[in-house]
Amino acid sequence: MLHVALVFAPLLGAVFAGLFGRVLGDGASRLIACGFMTVSALISIVVFHQVAIEHETVVIELMTWMDSEAFEVAWTLRFDELTAVMTLVVSVVSCLIHWYSIGYMAHDPHVPRFFAYLSLFTFAMLMLVTADNFVQMFFGWEGVGLCSYLLIGFWFDRPSANAAAIKAFVVNRVGDFGFALGIMAIFLVFESVDFATVFAAAPEVAGSSMVFLGREFDTLTVITLLLFVGAMGKSAQLGLHTWLPDAMEGPTPVSALIHAATMVTAGVFMVARCSPLFEYAPDTLMVITVVGASTAFFAATVGLVQNDIKRVIAYSTCSQLGYMFFAIGVSAYSAAIFHLMTHAFFKALLFLGAGSVIHAMADEQDMRRMGGIYTLMPLTYAIMWIGSLALAGIPFFAGFYSKDIILEAAYADGTGFGDYAFGLGIVAAFLTAFYSWRLLFMTFHGRVRAEPSVMARVHDAPKIMMIPLVLLSLGALFAGFVAYGAMVGEGSGFWGGSLFVLPENDTVAAAHHVPFWVKASPTVLAVAGIGVAWWFYIARPGIPPAIATMHRPIYVFLSRKWYFDELYDLAFVRPAKRIGHALWRGGDGRVIDGFGPDGVSAAVVRLAHRAARLQTGYVYHYAFAMLVGVVGFVSWFFYAIGG
Amino acid sequence: MPTVHAVPDLAPALPEVILAVVAMALLMLGVFRGDGSTRTVSWLAVAAMAVAGFFVITGPSDGVVTFSGMFVVDRFAVFMKVLVLIGSALALVMSFGYLRDEGMERFEFPVLLVLATLGMLMMVSANDLMALYLGLELQSLALYVVAAFKRESLRSTEAGLKYFVLGALSSGMLLYGCSLIYGITGATDFAALSAALSGGGEVPIGLVIGLVFLVSGLAFKVSAVPFHMWTPDVYEGAPTPVTAFFAVAPKIAAVALFLRVMMSPFGGLVSQWQQIIVVVSIASMVLGAFAAIRQDNIKRLMAYSSIGHVGYALVGLAAGTAEGMRGTILYMTIYLVMNVGTFAVILNMKRAGAMVEGIHDLAGLARSRPLMALAMGIFMFSLAGIPPLAGFFAKLYVFLAAVNAELYALAVIGVLASVVGAFYYLRIIRIMYFDAPSEVFDAPVASEMRVILAAAAVFTLFFFAYPAPFLAGAEAAALALVR
Amino acid sequence: MIVQTLTFCLLAAVTLASGVMVISARNPVHSVLFLILAFFNSAGLFVLMGAEFLAMIMVIVYVGAVAVLFLFVVMMLDINFVELRQGFLQYLPIGGLVGLIMLVELLLVLGGWAIRPPAGVVAAAEPAVAGVSNTEALGSLLYTRYVYLFQAAGMVLLVAMIGAIVLTLRTRAGVRKQSISRQVSRRRDEAVEVKEVAPGSGI
Repeated sequence: MLHVALVFAPLLGAVFAGLFGRVLGDGASRLIACGFMTVSALISIVVFHQVAIEHETVVIELMTWMDSEAFEVAWTLRFDELTAVMTLVVSVVSCLIHWYSIGYMAHDPHVPRFFAYLSLFTFAMLMLVTADNFVQMFFGWEGVGLCSYLLIGFWFDRPSANAAAIKAFVVNRVGDFGFALGIMAIFLVFESVDFATVFAAAPEVAGSSMVFLGREFDTLTVITLLLFVGAMGKSAQLGLHTWLPDAMEGPTPVSALIHAATMVTAGVFMVARCSPLFEYAPDTLMVITVVGASTAFFAATVGLVQNDIKRVIAYSTCSQLGYMFFAIGVSAYSAAIFHLMTHAFFKALLFLGAGSVIHAMADEQDMRRMGGIYTLMPLTYAIMWIGSLALAGIPFFAGFYSKDIILEAAYADGTGFGDYAFGLGIVAAFLTAFYSWRLLFMTFHGRVRAEPSVMARVHDAPKIMMIPLVLLSLGALFAGFVAYGAMVGEGSGFWGGSLFVLPENDTVAAAHHVPFWVKASPTVLAVAGIGVAWWFYIARPGIPPAIATMHRPIYVFLSRKWYFDELYDLAFVRPAKRIGHALWRGGDGRVIDGFGPDGVSAAVVRLAHRAARLQTGYVYHYAFAMLVGVVGFVSWFFYAIGG
Repeated sequence: MPTVHAVPDLAPALPEVILAVVAMALLMLGVFRGDGSTRTVSWLAVAAMAVAGFFVITGPSDGVVTFSGMFVVDRFAVFMKVLVLIGSALALVMSFGYLRDEGMERFEFPVLLVLATLGMLMMVSANDLMALYLGLELQSLALYVVAAFKRESLRSTEAGLKYFVLGALSSGMLLYGCSLIYGITGATDFAALSAALSGGGEVPIGLVIGLVFLVSGLAFKVSAVPFHMWTPDVYEGAPTPVTAFFAVAPKIAAVALFLRVMMSPFGGLVSQWQQIIVVVSIASMVLGAFAAIRQDNIKRLMAYSSIGHVGYALVGLAAGTAEGMRGTILYMTIYLVMNVGTFAVILNMKRAGAMVEGIHDLAGLARSRPLMALAMGIFMFSLAGIPPLAGFFAKLYVFLAAVNAELYALAVIGVLASVVGAFYYLRIIRIMYFDAPSEVFDAPVASEMRVILAAAAVFTLFFFAYPAPFLAGAEAAALALVR
Repeated sequence: MIVQTLTFCLLAAVTLASGVMVISARNPVHSVLFLILAFFNSAGLFVLMGAEFLAMIMVIVYVGAVAVLFLFVVMMLDINFVELRQGFLQYLPIGGLVGLIMLVELLLVLGGWAIRPPAGVVAAAEPAVAGVSNTEALGSLLYTRYVYLFQAAGMVLLVAMIGAIVLTLRTRAGVRKQSISRQVSRRRDEAVEVKEVAPGSGI
């Protein structure tokens, strides 16, 4: 019952706020939504204790969803250790963001709708993480995708928001298609979509091959690659990442909840959940490592030159997701989930802090028009420091523990791919520290660049926004320290059977035995990054423009985000539009309408006119028609029989 | 030396005898009592049809022949006779109000209808080419007269005359065909013909040509293309109750005759006549669908509709199987109900005491007469063949039979034609429900009309719920025919 | 035998020729007269076949009644046949073509039949009953074997009669028609009225 309430309380909140929002009014609907969400968050703590600490896996079958011969799917809630961590993160962060939103969205005309979407999203996310089979997971997967679309386009009067929403939806569709194909392939091979059945059968299937696209491939490699394509879309990995920065068009709490803390990590969660499949597909793991590490590096480089405060954080999210994926690629699933958790806290914190700044600066997002405000909003300033320190991996902040264990695991993997990931990860760590402090310095220090009228009103956010921030900053401070031992500590049995690692792949265990320089280098580089940022933006503010002019091509390349959008526009969007236009004008307009509805109806009217004209009213015409008919038939038989 | 002949067994022909006697008796009654007795004569005529129907149902039904083998009563005959009697009786009942209002209350009308019905029963039971011809002529002659019954109306007279002239031509063709067949086989008796033709071997072309003429004559009676030309003019010109009568009873009788002639004596020549029927059927379906689109007169529209429906019914015949016969028989059953209902509505299209016939006069009927519009809507949807109404099942069964007989082109064209045909039925619904209302029709609707309307609508609507008895009846009738 | 053949040819030729004249004569009265000629020749053909009863019926019914009726109608109604014929030439080519095709086909059928009757199907002619006259034979068949058809034909005629009456009989007002019973039953006081007439004034 408790578990069901945990998942369905947000749905109730969404229903009340969404369907009765107009009746209830802004105040009541947001209170109802926040109330249900708080209930859910509190339960999640209880459940976390029960499941993750006491190791009591709970499976609740709600009802049969589909039952068609061999294909059986049930609505089932599954709570194991992995789920418990996820539900805790999702509902606690979501709860805090709900409360934060009360303040942030106070002056928006569509408050009930916002809270309905937010709660609905949380419900879908909880369905996703509690799923016991692939189809239910897909339901949650699509649910969060839908809510993401709705929330990115929440300010529907902004064309850019609509475009971003569509972009997010379409790019995710590519990934979802892969995911759906993966599920179908799983059903084809395993004849079931239940996690337990599929995972139990995975070792037997390993090594067999199947025909896909007319060629023969290793079965599990095909399946896992398809699943990974889905994960790439949702988690904005290199290639399918383009929607995430644009998604910042949505309200900031949305960016914090969906595009930093929860939804984008769904891909990581899904791959971790399917670890019994991925472990038997070493080729896929290599691909994941390369993609993850490349994403981490790529996003960090792009983050260097962004001027929109939220975009910087968005690229950092992208980069951190890359970390999680290459952790998975080297079989350090627990490290990935650990980083997922700490990241959720500090990234939500950063976003909400940024939101607080934006709120204070009259909805200004461009860092070039900020600066010199640290005295005006000290609490926000402190919070942003905490978030940045955690993100950069400065010792004893949350990110330190999780990021280090990932890098160590990559090093411990010992393969070329692991080294590749380690190298790029180290560089990305330096870049991360640099752009984080660039953000801090540009936003809070230096000259005042905003309008005086704006500056007059800069202040810390109201309490309703600050309290969630403080709570989150506690998470950013202590989550790593507290959970390190349990989640990735040596010999910890925390995960039970929810994550599966082949003994020879256990890089997390090996990570504890890497050389000291490996452990120290991320910290050293992070501090170096902070130093460089201070040098560039406080000591010698003239340097960055000078570098940018000197290495103009590189600067443009980075600020254009490696030309991904342009490339996609050229390769897919424009040809698709051209094809669409051609099909519309030529295919639909001329062929289908021409010969179809329009043509047929015109022909029918013409024929009807002719048919009616046959009826002249003269008896001898009628008689003649009869005679012609008879003669026709007789002649036909002469032809047919007489020959 | 004179031979002594036994009196033929009259029992199988009891319904016909009753109708003949009643017709003459009513004629006497009418002559002595004058036109004031029309109501009485009409009700008596309806009663006579009911009694005849009773004897049809209770009488023999297992292939009894009498009158030297010229007259046969089997399950097929029983089923079709019941349909014919129902159609005639309902048409007669529906005519009461019209005759009174139009000053046409003349006692000959019900008598002629009874005689026409007698002719139809004789057609259904015909087991000889001569019996066939006489039944057909008896029916046709009565119909020519009732078509022109409104003799002050130029259109009515013209309709009667056209029908007569063309009918005479078709009768000529039919007779010519009969004489060719007789000339080649030396028999007019269906049983003898069947025996002579079932031997196999080469079919003389003269016989086939005779068959073509015979089919042409019959096709005229069912108004199949290209022998349909009289239909729109006659439907439009004839007084409306006469049109209602034309649309149901004679058509059923003619289709029944068509089925019997094709299956019983010429069952061995299926591959020959199938070719004609397929062409005629396609042409009828297509023309019925297309030509009706531009019609603004509802009676004329119903004429094209009936041409189309005959095309669909002939699809079953074209299949040439028991399943096809069942489809056609069922089709005519449902067709009867739908048409009676539709004409019940048309007969109530009356404004300031005068009949109106334009389909735009139906505009806004949904608001002024919601129930009547609903019933009409049901009939139109059913005529268009929209599931789950009765008309859909009618089409379904004939098309299924055609598909099973591997006449795919026929089935496909039929389905396409019914799509086109749906256009004008739906147009009527659109006019009733979405156009600005014109003046309200006269109230009140006579009680007998209400009953007929309601019963037809209920049948059409709920046929799908309990089709078993009709299916079983049609099945038995079809089996009697195919043997 | 040769005489019979010659007679047949003569009668048939005249029948056909008069048939053509019926539809091509300009004067309608001539048409009817040619029709009567055709009837007579058909009767002759019947006689040739030994069907004397049918021949007599032909003459009595068709010539004596039907054709005379036609003649009356044609002469009493002033129908402009020239007008009716106007479309004749216009439709002649196509009509003629269709007619020609029909003719050729029928000739082929019947010609083929005459030359080579197919095996299997045999025309079963009624054998002539010896010692029974035509009339008697017909009568005994009509009232026994074909009684159904006889009665049915009766009904057809009845319908024709009713139809003729229904369509043509009408009681017109204002027609001076003699009514004998009214004349006979008329009384004096209906016809004569006595009035007191004052002197010096009219009625």
